[in-house]
Amino acid sequence: QATATDQVVGFGLVAFSLVLFVYYTLWIIILPFIDSNHGIHRYFLPREYAVIIPVVAGLLLVLFIGVFIMVVMWKSRKPAKKSD
Amino acid sequence: MTKLGQWLCGLALLGSAWAALALAPPGLRLPAPYRQALLPLPVYLLVAFGCYSLATVGYRLATFNDCEEAAAELQEHISAARADLRRRGLRF
Repeated sequence: QATATDQVVGFGLVAFSLVLFVYYTLWIIILPFIDSNHGIHRYFLPREYAVIIPVVAGLLLVLFIGVFIMVVMWKSRKPAKKSD
Repeated sequence: MTKLGQWLCGLALLGSAWAALALAPPGLRLPAPYRQALLPLPVYLLVAFGCYSLATVGYRLATFNDCEEAAAELQEHISAARADLRRRGLRF
C-alpha cells in the first residue's frame, strides 16, 4: 500500500513533469510563432539554451548513473575478495 | 520483423524526414518560424519522452497497491506444486 510520503512524492513527480512538458512545449513549439516584441518572451531564455540545458542535464544524469554504478560495484567487490 | 527492427525502422524514417527538412534544400525551404520550431525537434521529443516516463513512474508510485489476488493465486500455485512433488515421492 502506498504511504502518504509515496503519494506526495509520486504526485509531485507527475506535477513536475507536467509543468516541465507544458513550459518546454511553449518554449520550443509555440514561441517561434509569436511576435518577437511580445511581452511573453521575457519569461524564456534565449533559444540556444532550449538545446544546451537538456543536453547538459542528460550528460550530468549519465555521469551520475555511471559514478553510482561504479561506487556500488566497487563496494560490493571488496567483501568478496576478502572471503576468497 | 522484431520489435527492435520496427522501432529502428520508424526512427530512421522520422530521422531522415527531419534531416531532409532541417538541411533545407532550395526547394524545401520552410518559413522562418517553422524552421525555428523544427530544428530542436529531436531534443523536444526526447524531453517529452522523459516527461512521460517521469510522470508514469510518479503515478505508479502514488497509486502503488497490494496485489491480494495475485498473492492468493501464487499461494495456490505453490500448494499445487507441493502436492504434485509429494505425489512423485519427493520429501521436503
